[in-house]
Amino acid sequence: MIVCVAVVGHQNNPLYLQSFTEADDALKLHHIVHCSLDVIDERVNNPKRSAPTLNETFLGLLYPTENYKVYGYLTNTKVKFIMVTTDIDVKDADARNFFRKFHAAYVDAVSNPFHVPGKKIASRSFGSRVSTIVKSFGAGTTV
Amino acid sequence: MEPGLSIESGSAIRVAVLPVGGPIPSPCLRDYAALVARHACVDLASLRPYYKEHQKSPFAHQPWDAGCLRLKFVLGGCVPSPWEDFQSSRKVLAVVGICHLPSSPDLDRVAADFVDAARSYPSALASRCFAFCPTDAQLVEKKRDDIIIFPPSDQQSLEVHMLTMIQDLAASLLMEFEKWVLRAESTGTILKTPLDSQSSLGSEEVDRMGQSDPVLEDEVKYRYYTIIQLYRRATLQDNAQRSFLSLNRVSPVSFELEAALKLARYLCRRELAKEVSDLLMGAADGAKALIDASDRLILLILYIEIARLFGTLGYKRKAAFFSRQVAQLYLQQDNAYAAMSAMQVLTMTTNAYHVQSRKNNKLDHDSHKELRASNTDSGKVHPQSIVSLFESQWSTLQMVILREILMSSIRASDPLSSWSAAARLLRSFYPLITPAGQSGLASSLGNSADRLPAGTRCADPCLPFIRLHSFPLHPSQRDVVKRNPHKKDWWTGAGPSGPFIYTPFSKAAASGTSKQEVTWIVGEPVQVMVELANPCSFDLVVESIYLSVHSGNFDAFPVSVSLPPNTSKSVLLSGVPTQVGQISIPGCIVHCFGVITEHLFKEVDCLLLGASQGLVLSDPFRCCGSSKFKSVSFPSISVVPPLPLLVANVVGGEGSILLYEGEIRDVLITLTNAGTVPVEEANIALSGKNQDSVISIAHSTWKSALPIKPGGEVTFAVTLRAWHLSLADSEADGSRSPVNSRRTAREGINPFLDIHYAGPAANAENGDVSLPPGRRLAVPLNICVVQGLRLVRARLLSMEIPAQFTEAHLSPVSRKDYISTGTDTAHGDDNLLTIDPCKGSWGLRLLELELFNPTDVVFDVDVAVHLDGTNVDQKLIDEGTAVDAACQKTRIDRDYSARVLIPLENFKLPVLDASFFIKESGSTEPLGSKAAAIAERNAKAELNASINSLISKIKVKWHSGRNSSGELNIKNAIQAALQASIMDILLPDPLTFSFKLAKNGSAINVVSSKDSGNPDDDSGHFTDENVILSTKNAQRCEDLISAHEMTHMVVQIRNNTKEIIRMNLSISCKDVAGENCFDENSATVLWAGVLSDVHLEVPPLQEVAHPFSVYFLVPGDYSLQASSLIIDATDVLRARAKAESSDEPILCRGSPFHIRVVGKV
Repeated sequence: MIVCVAVVGHQNNPLYLQSFTEADDALKLHHIVHCSLDVIDERVNNPKRSAPTLNETFLGLLYPTENYKVYGYLTNTKVKFIMVTTDIDVKDADARNFFRKFHAAYVDAVSNPFHVPGKKIASRSFGSRVSTIVKSFGAGTTV
Repeated sequence: MEPGLSIESGSAIRVAVLPVGGPIPSPCLRDYAALVARHACVDLASLRPYYKEHQKSPFAHQPWDAGCLRLKFVLGGCVPSPWEDFQSSRKVLAVVGICHLPSSPDLDRVAADFVDAARSYPSALASRCFAFCPTDAQLVEKKRDDIIIFPPSDQQSLEVHMLTMIQDLAASLLMEFEKWVLRAESTGTILKTPLDSQSSLGSEEVDRMGQSDPVLEDEVKYRYYTIIQLYRRATLQDNAQRSFLSLNRVSPVSFELEAALKLARYLCRRELAKEVSDLLMGAADGAKALIDASDRLILLILYIEIARLFGTLGYKRKAAFFSRQVAQLYLQQDNAYAAMSAMQVLTMTTNAYHVQSRKNNKLDHDSHKELRASNTDSGKVHPQSIVSLFESQWSTLQMVILREILMSSIRASDPLSSWSAAARLLRSFYPLITPAGQSGLASSLGNSADRLPAGTRCADPCLPFIRLHSFPLHPSQRDVVKRNPHKKDWWTGAGPSGPFIYTPFSKAAASGTSKQEVTWIVGEPVQVMVELANPCSFDLVVESIYLSVHSGNFDAFPVSVSLPPNTSKSVLLSGVPTQVGQISIPGCIVHCFGVITEHLFKEVDCLLLGASQGLVLSDPFRCCGSSKFKSVSFPSISVVPPLPLLVANVVGGEGSILLYEGEIRDVLITLTNAGTVPVEEANIALSGKNQDSVISIAHSTWKSALPIKPGGEVTFAVTLRAWHLSLADSEADGSRSPVNSRRTAREGINPFLDIHYAGPAANAENGDVSLPPGRRLAVPLNICVVQGLRLVRARLLSMEIPAQFTEAHLSPVSRKDYISTGTDTAHGDDNLLTIDPCKGSWGLRLLELELFNPTDVVFDVDVAVHLDGTNVDQKLIDEGTAVDAACQKTRIDRDYSARVLIPLENFKLPVLDASFFIKESGSTEPLGSKAAAIAERNAKAELNASINSLISKIKVKWHSGRNSSGELNIKNAIQAALQASIMDILLPDPLTFSFKLAKNGSAINVVSSKDSGNPDDDSGHFTDENVILSTKNAQRCEDLISAHEMTHMVVQIRNNTKEIIRMNLSISCKDVAGENCFDENSATVLWAGVLSDVHLEVPPLQEVAHPFSVYFLVPGDYSLQASSLIIDATDVLRARAKAESSDEPILCRGSPFHIRVVGKV
């Protein structure tokens, strides 16, 4: 189950952060997302030399913390997508698939001519689309 | 478990550092401990001098050249570890006492204290007591062996001294170890736990261990995991048997964590970041098991270590996260020291969360400033600050951190830190804080400030937000003019040169110096407008705010401002430059909430820029309803030496100068030098509109006053003449009441006095003469012109007064007088309308001016006529005033109108004569015909010129009150009135007729009448004016002509032209009924001589007399009139008579001549 997803801009500024838990753990999730930027920064600054990973956007498991696992995804424009999940066993393919849909939703959201680049995404349609993707991810793993 | 765990920590010798004696101030204690702790690693080579090797030393094979002895100083000592028998690295092997001598005067006490303290460390093999900062008394005391007193000296020699002491300590430890080894028995082998094998790695081995040796690394990892496995197995056994090592309260987890930390520290490199991160996260997760309150210390140390290792790895956010965990653990303890620690730990995290105090990035700030200075376009914001704007969006985390810092600093009773945290919280996150929370922060700011000494400064600004609004230039600043040293008129260089309004070169030069430049003058106050905003929901009282200038050549004047909730306010901040040089104003110093802070403009600019792009939470100015953000570039300000400063003052009031139309007045202007430098040169010129209203400026007055010393003043007069209101103005005035209309002085229609002035040239140090800038002072002459007397109408009136007999006509003497002085009298008699009685005033022309006084003051009107350069006041006839009162001024009351009559006849001849009298050497004969000829021959332009000269001689002056006087501008009106009949006014008639009595045929009595070239017109108006004859004159005439007596008369005809005129003269006589008395049928008058068709030739400018005699049969009034039919009239005469065709007869007729014939008594 995905507990939190986030979009972080190229200046490490949060663009979107949404938790999907009932509990009052927003601060904790903020911290987890914030801390995951360390790993992403490190990956960005020290890219692996092997050719196939050069264009790889999916960063895989960033780090495990407590009961959560944090996955990351980095676009060419250095926008980061972060997913925090409680699932123990996540298939890479599922995570990739999730991020691809998430990315598409983000692209659609920022293509809105009224969107200011660098500003937080407040679009409700983006929010509902993301929650649909998040729900379908949970469904995919159970099936 | 303890902080700073590493693989090497097993090889370190533990030394307890204990404060002894009196209380030591914490900064001193920190210094002393640091002094000791810096020698954690002592080279073996340096121990040689202190080390006496035993004969059978087991240490002979130690690496004496490269090796080292590790010491671990534990400040405050530690509780003896239950594991120390098994892990001797946990054993305290030496004790060091630290004593602050000023607080411990008694050295014996100190020594006893130290012995007591050292007693709790039975395993210690060596002990030293160091004492610092001895007093003079203690220095002279006998040297003691048990206390080592460090003499007072500088830091460097203190360090050297300490090094020696530590080396000595290390050497004695080494010798103790040697003894121990020599004494050791094989039976006493110490039990080793599996973990002890870790510490078997000698220091030398670690040193040799290359960080990139993969084989060794694998070995370490292998050992670690093996050990962990073994250990876990043992733990399981222990749990089963509950007898492991017979130790109860040792948490098995702590060893695992310790090992994990050691491995992580060993592996801690970027390439292995993932592995280390996993290890650390695993350790952090493993710490979940440490739920016991007694384990809190282990947890604390674990988090500290994790944070440090993440920090080493470059994972600053994770380091910050674990630091915060540390702080929370500290905060769970309820004491001030823990709170202090929490605060310090949290402060370390502020960089990662971008909420750091400005105090900590002062260095960054300075480098930014340099960058900024090197950056030519100031409008561009440094990228760094933009990044911080982005980062600032982690507001949830940032607020938590700041709130925790605030909480911990309050608990740690550090008011400055809590003030700073509250300030940062309020300034950065006010939109996210509820009004109640804002007020709470405000009160905690106040509380903190109460505990701070007055005048405390804090690096972090709080409220209000301050931005530069504008740079209002003081008038005196605006008027600084660069002097052009190559020109005498130095002020002219400032304008564009050359014939072109636009030149591409000047344009380029202007854009090159796009940065606005401002010149300030030493000692003259300047102003800067800033805008303050209080976006919070409480009343903000800014106790004082003033400009912050770091260059030290500016005295800023503080002001205090009160800002209600959600308001912004523009405030003028002023100051005085004190020294020559450049001034930069980065911001303002604000004293608010009891603390002094500096608010930088560029920070707010960044914030506003971010807000305009939607990147930051809110624009504090816009939410206060202020206008939109506009970037105000800061001009480069240079301060120049003092300049003179002239202040102009119009004497008699600041307001506008109220003048009636056409009024002429002297205005006194006082120039005062308010500067500290004399005015050495000056120039006054006119600029602006209506410059011709300034008639004269008393240049000589102010020039003679130069140089104007500081404080000196000069007053000079400027003569003004009010211009004439346009028709629109008059109408506007007419529609409104005069009181209102007079105040509506319009902008932009006034002339200015442009005063350029400068002080003396300064001698620069290198001998060059440098010209300080000059100044310009524009003195507006605020003239407010109001409607004065208004000319309603100007028209020309004709009046005919017949000639009469007077006594003078009888006497030849008087006649002579008349001839010799008549014209003079006519000229010289100033005020009266003088009518030549011989000639009468047939066809007298009067100019009537009807004036209306719409104002609320009384006007006196004077009419003046300039003749021959002398001002001859002619005649003024006021309506309703007798002729003899004409010399008086005409007073026109408010809302009354009056008519002023200006007789034109009387200055007609003189006017024309004027040019001829000179030529004809005083001849009284008018040469009008000549003038007429010229005038008529000449073009219309010349006629106009003569009209103008006539009109310009008529001046209608007025006075009002004590000091208002002026002149009516009625030229156009007069011209319009005179245009039609100007010839009749200007030109005399060609022939002049006059009648005289000839007593006994020799003496001549006079009755004269004037001929008019235009008989049809003349007879028109005042034919009945004969009755004007006064009774007095009639009485006098009684004696002269009697009925039934022969009266000898002569008619004199004067030719006023320069050509002979031939004519047929006729004389007629009419009685009161108008009947012709020379008729054949008339029985009233008998006559002798020729009375009709007398052929005469009159030479030019001569007189011809024609005698005749009459005999009146009936007493009564008669009038004689002479007329001539001119034969072969010249063109001039025809033109004068306005003849329409060349064969039209030209008739000249004299004015009627009245005779009263009395009967014989």
